[in-house]
Amino acid sequence: MSGVVQGEELVRVGSGDPDYHAAVDFLHQEAELLDARRWRDWLALLAEDVTYEMPVRVTRARTLEDSTLADMDHFREDRFALQKRVERLETEYAWTEDPPSRTRHFVTNVQVFRAASGDLVVKSYLLLFRSRGDTRPPEWVCGERTDRLRRTPEGLRLVHRRLVVDESVLRTQNLAIFL
Amino acid sequence: MPDDRWLGQLVGDVRKGWIPAAIYSDPGVFEAEEERVFGRAWVFLAHESEIPEPGDYVVRRIVRDSFIVARDEYGEVRVLANVCRHRGMQVCRAERGNASHFRCPYHGWTYRNTGDLVGVPFHEDAYGGDREFPKSEFGLLSAPRVASYNGLVFASLDPGAPPLEEYLGGFRFYLDFYTRQSPAGLEVHGPQRWRIRANWKIGAENFCGDTYHTPYTHQSIAEIGLFGEHKPHKRKEGVLYFADRGGGTTYKLPPGGFADRLRSVGYPDGMIERMAQTWSREQRALVGEAGFMVSAATLFPNLSFVHNWPRVREGGPPVPFVSIRLWQPVGPDETEVYSWFAVDRLAPEEFKQDSYRSYLLSFGTSGMFEQDDVENWTSITAVAAGRWARGLRLHSRMGLSREGRLLREPLADWPGPGQAFQGFGEYNQRALLELWCRYLEGAREAVEV
Ligand code: FES
Ligand SMILES: [Fe+2]
Repeated sequence: MSGVVQGEELVRVGSGDPDYHAAVDFLHQEAELLDARRWRDWLALLAEDVTYEMPVRVTRARTLEDSTLADMDHFREDRFALQKRVERLETEYAWTEDPPSRTRHFVTNVQVFRAASGDLVVKSYLLLFRSRGDTRPPEWVCGERTDRLRRTPEGLRLVHRRLVVDESVLRTQNLAIFL
Repeated sequence: MPDDRWLGQLVGDVRKGWIPAAIYSDPGVFEAEEERVFGRAWVFLAHESEIPEPGDYVVRRIVRDSFIVARDEYGEVRVLANVCRHRGMQVCRAERGNASHFRCPYHGWTYRNTGDLVGVPFHEDAYGGDREFPKSEFGLLSAPRVASYNGLVFASLDPGAPPLEEYLGGFRFYLDFYTRQSPAGLEVHGPQRWRIRANWKIGAENFCGDTYHTPYTHQSIAEIGLFGEHKPHKRKEGVLYFADRGGGTTYKLPPGGFADRLRSVGYPDGMIERMAQTWSREQRALVGEAGFMVSAATLFPNLSFVHNWPRVREGGPPVPFVSIRLWQPVGPDETEVYSWFAVDRLAPEEFKQDSYRSYLLSFGTSGMFEQDDVENWTSITAVAAGRWARGLRLHSRMGLSREGRLLREPLADWPGPGQAFQGFGEYNQRALLELWCRYLEGAREAVEV
């Protein structure tokens, strides 16, 4: 599974388990914060050592394996990078998001696994709908996320996200949004 | 194809710096460009480092013509039309990979990655064997002209195109700053690919000379302190140069010698030493004596470069990166952007990592500079397409008096080829569109600036 420590043993958490619901709640809450453009609150859900990556997908013959580039990403972020992006969106000059996009992050097909450390590894499908202005057709981004959530006294925190996008050529004008 | 009289009028206006908005949206203009610009110019396809091993290939386009750029078993780079010689099936439908052969899915003709046709099912029964149908005559076609410079692989669909080096002309001098920082040259990573609803020329024009947009379009970048100094406002001190087929922008560097100045943009000493050994005396003088560093640039028609140096950690030093990008036309109002990260092969690993981060933060699909640029360009394309707006003439006359005289003289002591001006001005956008005019008129020669 992508985004998981090599050789790590993961135990599937069934949908009846409270951890499953905690993970789903986390993803729903996160989606709402992003759609409401409450980025500071979103940043608060990320661990200090968060890593956030979205590799470039490519069309290869025969197999879906190896269909991401190892050396090129749309995002490969640490906290500094994410923080700067949020600061930028908060300025008066982030034209591409002014007027703002109306977005919906749809999160489905959630599967939860427990690592020996207690972290939850969460796979989900993401469908982002993005509507901009009043004359352009809406844009979509679709992909699969593998997240790692850490338990902290304040609740779950995102330590790592890897988003594998389905398009090799993005049909959205830019990624001035978070996925 | 639009009639030549109308094209003549457009070209006449463009030459005066009055840009008819229609050139950014009209399907007839686009058709003429496909034929006369992209059918004649040298167009960038790939960098050799994308296909390092025998068998490696990438698939690229010149507008709608698809080509397989492959390294064959002998190590030679081939540019093969991605069209089966039998009934025209697309032979390779992946975008990259490694293959010694390409087998057509339709009837199974098989080609080696040299282009040679080596397998024809039922060759004897169906075609009468090699006597009646010599396989050697039906290999995948090569692009009419193929050549490379500093590992950049170009093709031209025009058998009569001038040699690539001649085409590049004086722009080679500037190309080296991006693509030859040591004898080993570049390694490129990517590309990121995405589609934008903008005409391909707008990005090309912006990169070749629009220093004037930086303080405003990119004000958010300055506000969040991504640069050590309030860099956007320094753009008016920069020099704009244009030589033969391309031009670009520069930043004025702080005082000091060659090494100090390169250190100020964040290059480590080992890289600076290699630059000193690799660049010519005049190239070194541009940095060390004149005190400028190249930033964005465009090579006609649709290849751009960017070199910039934001920070990648709080309060950290600047980290330079180089990016190569192609404005691949899809239609009059749509462009596919290919954006590569490029770094000198001999750069230290740590530098490569930081430089990559520096690129991702500022350019490409998620880049904080790029985001706002593209918003401008898609919006221009949309509103310029209006029935009435198409007839408007947009203003590209910065640096000219009302009568069309230069407001400022070109620099007399500029160490590089071509013409150079210090300060704001749309000299380069006009020079780039002058080339566009000449190609639309049917010329192949470079512009005399
Ligand atoms: S079209 Fe390729 S083998 Fe027939
Ligand atoms: Fe810009």
